[in-house]
Amino acid sequence: MAEVTIRQLRKSFGSVEVIRGVDIDIPDGEFVVLVGPSGCGKSTLLRMIAGLEDVTAGTIRIGERVVNNLPPAERDIAMVFQNYALYPHKTVAANLAFSLKVRKTDRAVVKERVEQAAETLGLTPYLHRYPRQLSGGQRQRVAMGRAIVRDPQVFLFDEPLSNLDAKLRIQMRTEIKELYQRLGTTTVFVTHDQIEAMTMADKIVVMEDGLVEQVGTPLELFDRPRNVFVATFIGSPAMNLIHGTVRRDGAPHVEANGHRLPVRPDREAPDGHSVIYGVRPEHLDLAEDGGGFPARVAVVEPTGSETLVFLRFGETEVVALFRDRHFFKPGETVHLRPRTDQTHLFDAATGVRL
Amino acid sequence: MSAETGQIFKDAAPDLKFRAKWYTRRVLIYGTLLFWTVICLFPIYWTATTSFKIAPDVMQGHLIPWADFEPAWRGWRSLGLSPQTIFETSTVREEFLKRFTNSVITSLAASALAVVLGSMAAYGLSRFTYRLKFIKNRDISFFFLSQLILPPVVLALPFLVLYKELALLDSHIGLILLYTLMVLPIVIWIMRDQFSAIPVELEEAALVDGLSVWKAFLQIVLPIALPGMIAAFILSLVLCWNEYFFAALLTSTDAKTIPVMVASQTGSQGINWWSMAALSFAAILPLVIIGIVLERFIIKGMAAGAVK
Repeated sequence: MAEVTIRQLRKSFGSVEVIRGVDIDIPDGEFVVLVGPSGCGKSTLLRMIAGLEDVTAGTIRIGERVVNNLPPAERDIAMVFQNYALYPHKTVAANLAFSLKVRKTDRAVVKERVEQAAETLGLTPYLHRYPRQLSGGQRQRVAMGRAIVRDPQVFLFDEPLSNLDAKLRIQMRTEIKELYQRLGTTTVFVTHDQIEAMTMADKIVVMEDGLVEQVGTPLELFDRPRNVFVATFIGSPAMNLIHGTVRRDGAPHVEANGHRLPVRPDREAPDGHSVIYGVRPEHLDLAEDGGGFPARVAVVEPTGSETLVFLRFGETEVVALFRDRHFFKPGETVHLRPRTDQTHLFDAATGVRL
Repeated sequence: MSAETGQIFKDAAPDLKFRAKWYTRRVLIYGTLLFWTVICLFPIYWTATTSFKIAPDVMQGHLIPWADFEPAWRGWRSLGLSPQTIFETSTVREEFLKRFTNSVITSLAASALAVVLGSMAAYGLSRFTYRLKFIKNRDISFFFLSQLILPPVVLALPFLVLYKELALLDSHIGLILLYTLMVLPIVIWIMRDQFSAIPVELEEAALVDGLSVWKAFLQIVLPIALPGMIAAFILSLVLCWNEYFFAALLTSTDAKTIPVMVASQTGSQGINWWSMAALSFAAILPLVIIGIVLERFIIKGMAAGAVK
């Protein structure tokens, strides 16, 4: 096991810079998820850690070693690919044993490790099958088995769950987390799915356009997003954003569409400042007394456990999530009151948290 | 419980109709296939039977041995390969064996060389992006294939002059090089599809697993592409084995191959069809055997390239 330290990392393909100066510290034994929309550079970053892409500038350190110019074989990492990348001409057992055989490991040790990995992953009955004879989930488990038999310094996962169907994906993310908790190996996991990131990570790195937007624990990112991008990317349904102006006459508030939206008094925003007001759908309460702001119901989506309501506040679309059941009619006007201490303010010009 | 045995359920009228339909379809399908098989195999049958005919049988178009002509060993005797002559010395047989060996050497060597060179070229084309001003991978692939557009006749004179200057006329090496050049485009085309069908992540996984680039190619990519390589090899072999034009042009006494010898079976009374047929049959026999033995590789290789 080892920590991974990334300093001022840059990567260009021709004249296009896809990683534009990234710093990340991954302590020993931590589960870090790189998350971001497609094309944000997260996979490229992972492939650079693996040694499958050259480093244009900056350093990658695994443990004490700078690995910039080491081939993948010498980095002591294991990687799980999105499309599994199993060797089609080898059986499951041979796939699992391959990396150990390449490293000339003692045969008895190979056998023991393969059997142990197969047991952990529930692959023992399939050891003599070929990859083409396995289901998608089983193939993904073989791909993970190939990684864990090595007992490497770092595990790298490149969107390993995105080829699986929704139900299996949820099951496997729990299983991967349990596997990680048992092994305790430093892990870097790439995904575009923020739910996956939130549920699995010790620490999330949110990336956009080749830059790190924010690094933090799932709840830090959820509670204190550093900018509008992180605020909307983390959390589902996404945070509501309402454009308005800060007013400090009386209790500080944001004026939007002619209504007063409450803000925490400690927010440092001068009177008249243009802001984006953020509040999550689950932090909107129904104000039966006519307080809060009025919004017109557009669509109601009851899911049984909760009710999702899409509304119009002036021209702004707002989503509210209620744990209890409501039977609104489209066109009806309701009053919503944001929970003051759960609101966010972002600078309208820069999108940075205030 | 009674001990009665015997059929209880019987086919009803719709069952019988269904069976009749099923049988009709089978008969039609297999009938068509059988018909096509006969058409495909007839030339081989004709060649084989002609080698046992004498002049009048050939001219009168007799087809069925014993029924409308009496098989004779004439064609095979002229080659020294009939039961009576097989243990006697025969200059024709010696020549046949020499030509046969020439064909084996040139086509095996040329095919092997083409598969090795072509695979490397194809691997490069499928894995790396080349850019030479406006020339890209697709253009390079097309350049390779475009060699096939030019009719060989156009190249006849240049090659004759070139080979004369290089002292490659009537030599194995000369013919091998030419044949390699001839089949290389096809090999590259087949192998490029083969390699493109192999996900690049497999090699990356092998690199992460601890292999070098070359070992990843040899241990992971090559075994997966092997059926395709064998298919390309066999195709090259067939093309080289049957090549007549350049062999006739560029060889004379030493390096002459079987097709040239087949074509030269003319005697003072015209063409000796029987000996030509015997020779032809002896010439295609190795290909038939290879085809039967390695058929599954050919199908596998072609299919793998076709699907992706």
